[in-house]
Amino acid sequence: MRLSFYPGCSLEGMANDYARSIDAVFRNLGIDLVEIEDWSCCGATAAHSLSQTMSVLLPARNLAAAEKLGHDIVSPCANCFNRLRFSQNMIKKKVFDIPWPVTGDIRVHDMTRFLAEPARIKSIKERILRPLNGLRVVCYYGCQMVRPPKITGYTDYENPQTMDRIAATAGAQVIDWSYKATCCGASVGIARKEIGESLTRRILQKAQQAGAEAIVVSCPLCQSNLDMIQKDRSKRHTPVFYFTELLRLSFAEHVDPKWFKMHFTDPVPLLRAKGLLS
Amino acid sequence: MQNIISDPDQARKHDSGKERKLIGDRGDYFLNRMEGETGANISACYQCERCTNSCPVSHFMDIKPHQVIHYVQLGWREELLKSSTIWICLSCEMCTTYCPNEVDVAEIINHLRNMAAHSSITPKEKSLAVFHQTFLEVLQKSGRVNEFRLMNAYYLKPDILHERIKNKALKEDLLLGITMLRKGRLKLFTPKSRAIKEIKRVYSQTRGEIV
Ligand code: SF4
Ligand code: SF4
Repeated sequence: MRLSFYPGCSLEGMANDYARSIDAVFRNLGIDLVEIEDWSCCGATAAHSLSQTMSVLLPARNLAAAEKLGHDIVSPCANCFNRLRFSQNMIKKKVFDIPWPVTGDIRVHDMTRFLAEPARIKSIKERILRPLNGLRVVCYYGCQMVRPPKITGYTDYENPQTMDRIAATAGAQVIDWSYKATCCGASVGIARKEIGESLTRRILQKAQQAGAEAIVVSCPLCQSNLDMIQKDRSKRHTPVFYFTELLRLSFAEHVDPKWFKMHFTDPVPLLRAKGLLS
Repeated sequence: MQNIISDPDQARKHDSGKERKLIGDRGDYFLNRMEGETGANISACYQCERCTNSCPVSHFMDIKPHQVIHYVQLGWREELLKSSTIWICLSCEMCTTYCPNEVDVAEIINHLRNMAAHSSITPKEKSLAVFHQTFLEVLQKSGRVNEFRLMNAYYLKPDILHERIKNKALKEDLLLGITMLRKGRLKLFTPKSRAIKEIKRVYSQTRGEIV
């Protein structure tokens, strides 16, 4: 099986560990990811904030390149996924002049939903060597992946289940909680730090109150926000994993603690305590 | 939001001297324009405030989401473009998702933000507006956005350095940057996309230049 892969800018920079874990997991599952030739940035929040035309055209360039290859697109980043889908929607309305040949008909998956399909869950199950027994986690989806449902296609946008299903398959104990799809404030996180931090801190608190030992995410910005806010070492920390990191861990015979060296909140002690790392 | 009093004299007295705008003093021009451009059914709003109650940052806004809809209905354009709301909004789409009348509140706010960006009005939340602008500039220069390049470019914008020294963000950013570098999370150089020319061309088209 082959898919076009749209990594997005963060995976080249601060979420390089996410990129590596995706690579390992997809290799193991025998699914070929073909990076979209010469992809460019989707424009993120900035483009749609300042110019609607740019917010349609920037993703359209990548859609056009993927259409040439013909495979479905899979996107690991919630925001890229949202922008690609939005652009497709607008392309089909035919009110923008797109300088590239593009129909908007190709399928865009977000990575969690793609891997949570029953057939994939089955093949994940077959590959698990070390179930993450006893690891209590909450899954955090954020806003861009699930909302607005008309764009993202999520029907369970109030209580999404894709990552929950994957984490449970990997053997983790998944806890239900109420802040799954609350925004972490990433779009204002740099220019108006205090607003971003107040939102992120609340999500972290609620996760801890729910009894989570770790948070599972699928978006580079959600990860960095939740991870980097835990600067205060005296407080309880809660490592923040990409869902593919957990899969990689459960697929592997030998685990290298170096896989987690990009984390601010070090997950190694927790994994050791759970007997998942020697 | 206070009720609009329909008797002009009463209304002015009520506002203790402040000049108050009245319903329909612009006709429905602005409302029609907004409905046409966003495709949102703004007239369907019955002010239930569900959008505001679902909004995670409404307490940071000067005009609350349901009021934004009301202001559009009243044609109060400048107030909206001068508001902090249009910049504070996170585009998290809670409001749109939970509106019982399917009013696309997030899109309306986003459209107002677009309008403000193309107007001469100074944004009330300048640091946010400048950040978005910087992001697009970096994007145009390299086709992809690298965190290090983005932050550098942002700091070089007028007033940003000063502001961030004052609110101690500079110190935090530096410490964060060093830790990120140490952990390999900050890449100083990442590949550029060959798309730069195409993107620049598209961008100048959006500014109405003939290319
Ligand atoms: S939720 Fe919808 S109907 Fe209710 S106030 Fe907001 S826009 Fe109006
Ligand atoms: S999209 Fe904006 S206005 Fe709507 S709920 Fe989110 S932050 Fe509030």
